[in-house]
Amino acid sequence: MQLFCLQAFLQMCNLPIRVICRANAEYMSPSGKVPFIHVGNQVVSELGPIVQFVKAKGHSLSDGLDEVQKAEMKAYMELVNNMLLTAELYLQWCDDVTVEEITHPRYGSPYPWPLNRILSYQKQWEVRRKMKAIGWAGKTLEQVLEDVDQCCHALSQRLGTQPYFFNKQPTELDALVFGHLFTILTTQLITDELSEKVKNYSNLTAFCRRIEQQYFEGHEKDSSTIATRSSKRSLLR
Amino acid sequence: QSLEPLPVPGPDFGALGEEAELVEVEPEAKQEILENKDVVVQHVHFDGLGRTKDDIIMYEIADVFKARNLIDVMRKSHEAREKLLRLGIFRQVDVLIDTCQGDDALPNGLDVTFEVTELRRLTGSYNTMVGNNEGSMVLGLKFPNLFGRAEKVTFQFSYGTKETSYGLSFFKPQPGSFEKNFSVNIYKVTGQFPWSSLRETDRGISAELNFPVWKTSHTLKWEGVWRELGCLARTASFSVREESGHSLKSSLSHAMVVDSRNSTILPKQGALLKINQELAGYTGGDVSFLKEDFELQLNKQLLLDSVISASLWGGMLVPIGDRPSSIADRFYLGGPTSVRGFSMYSIGPQSEGDYLGGEAFWAGGVHLYTPLPFRPGRGGFGDLFRTHFFLNAGNLCNLNYGEGPRAHLQRLAECIRWSYGAGVVLRLGNIARLELNYCFPMGVQAGDRICDGVQFGAGIRFL
Repeated sequence: MQLFCLQAFLQMCNLPIRVICRANAEYMSPSGKVPFIHVGNQVVSELGPIVQFVKAKGHSLSDGLDEVQKAEMKAYMELVNNMLLTAELYLQWCDDVTVEEITHPRYGSPYPWPLNRILSYQKQWEVRRKMKAIGWAGKTLEQVLEDVDQCCHALSQRLGTQPYFFNKQPTELDALVFGHLFTILTTQLITDELSEKVKNYSNLTAFCRRIEQQYFEGHEKDSSTIATRSSKRSLLR
Repeated sequence: QSLEPLPVPGPDFGALGEEAELVEVEPEAKQEILENKDVVVQHVHFDGLGRTKDDIIMYEIADVFKARNLIDVMRKSHEAREKLLRLGIFRQVDVLIDTCQGDDALPNGLDVTFEVTELRRLTGSYNTMVGNNEGSMVLGLKFPNLFGRAEKVTFQFSYGTKETSYGLSFFKPQPGSFEKNFSVNIYKVTGQFPWSSLRETDRGISAELNFPVWKTSHTLKWEGVWRELGCLARTASFSVREESGHSLKSSLSHAMVVDSRNSTILPKQGALLKINQELAGYTGGDVSFLKEDFELQLNKQLLLDSVISASLWGGMLVPIGDRPSSIADRFYLGGPTSVRGFSMYSIGPQSEGDYLGGEAFWAGGVHLYTPLPFRPGRGGFGDLFRTHFFLNAGNLCNLNYGEGPRAHLQRLAECIRWSYGAGVVLRLGNIARLELNYCFPMGVQAGDRICDGVQFGAGIRFL
């Protein structure tokens, strides 16, 4: 899901990219997390370090913001990471029905039996252990959905009627929010409850559609490549 | 326990009635020429058998009953003792030959007694090993002769600062023919390959059947391995990074060995031929290939205690289907045990200093072994050393299998790496050897890493 955050961010910076899907992308990454970028001789993984890397090369979206706004942006990005990302992980790996019917087959699909089962279970234990560590293991699905709702409410209020979170120009926060919301809205799950929560906020769905139309139509240049495990989808049906 | 010479299925031997003519029992004062005196082995006794079952013992000592004179009895008893020790279930076997006593004793009857001490049910070992920037504790457990028919279960566990590995294996020979045996292994091993910046963890099961056919020894094996590849360092090249991840290999392999050498390390004469093939992918898994490799070695003794030896290795890996071959299956070339004068496995296709291996290779060597000049320590320690002059050559490359065999031979014949030099070889028991050589590498291609000058090598299998 982080792929769309990254893709949006790099498109907003006007950097040409090529997306390649590999089953072993998770293992290719130096930190074990997708997505990662391969630029020339260097490999950088995870959104935070990639943003830093791109900034060091001279591209940044938040140069126009003052200190207060930058702090605010960081706060919102933390909120999104803590809430939306964890909720997505919870739903994928801790909700038994979803795990059995969707996540396990999808995660194990590149591998033959019995490897597909072994790797899926390994990942599941890892995620559940992490959930336990941050205190989410005891939460029920309803509580998680409530948290998502609150997060969306906060984002919706901040966005208001502006085109982007910080008025006229897109920033890293826009890329991050877009990535997460887009994933939630387009991923097929057992129930539509999660995407319904987001759809309640019409300005958020409009925001996603706007960014998709502006940055994801017909951009296919070669230079650096991004690797991820997911596949392409579209909001526009 | 006492075993009478009853008919036993399998080996056949003459009936008791066919004894030679009765020999006069001479007074003890006169000496007799024992080797011409016919004898009959009447009883074979075993002292010290506990959990070992009778039937496997009977196979090993059946020949003793066929002996017809005293020297023959001694020889066959000695062979039986060797066979019993080979089973791996006895710590000690002593043979006692005596004349027969008792009511049914014939004048030329002999009793052979085997006094054996069985191994304990469980033996353990504990070692610490240090090497390759890692320290580890190794615990070994062995259950010899588990169910009485020379079955063996071994367990080894190695706990290190960086990696952990273990292995459990069950071995069972066929009673009566020790060379026919099968074993099942479960293992996890980890390896680090700095020449490719690669780390590999294998968890697998294998089942293996060994059997002799005339003068050759064959092995049939099925192996299922869950392979996990990873980068050894952040600076690994992207080609190696791309190979990271999990894969499952399920393969059937067959190996044939013909070995007529007089020794495994520094043989003086004889030849060795090993042919190995492996087919992966048709019994499951996601790795699919056909792999062939062979090893040939010829030795001949020349005058003045020197030996000339020639060896040839070769192999080919053909990926089946559209997936390219994996770095863990490819061949590697170079190093003190292969083409000397080059760094370990540092010949052939590479990317940013990481060697990726190749799908086809050949390597050859000609060696002349002589005793050390002026023969110091002759008859003792000095005999373990040999001086050695060598000429090695080889090539490693990837093949485009659509091109045809002629193009492949051409590819393997161009850009040959070769080297020559001299050095000293030390023999370690019957298993390993150490070499210290001065090498001149030649035919070096761009990308190869050489080790010209002094090179040290230790190992079991050398080109």
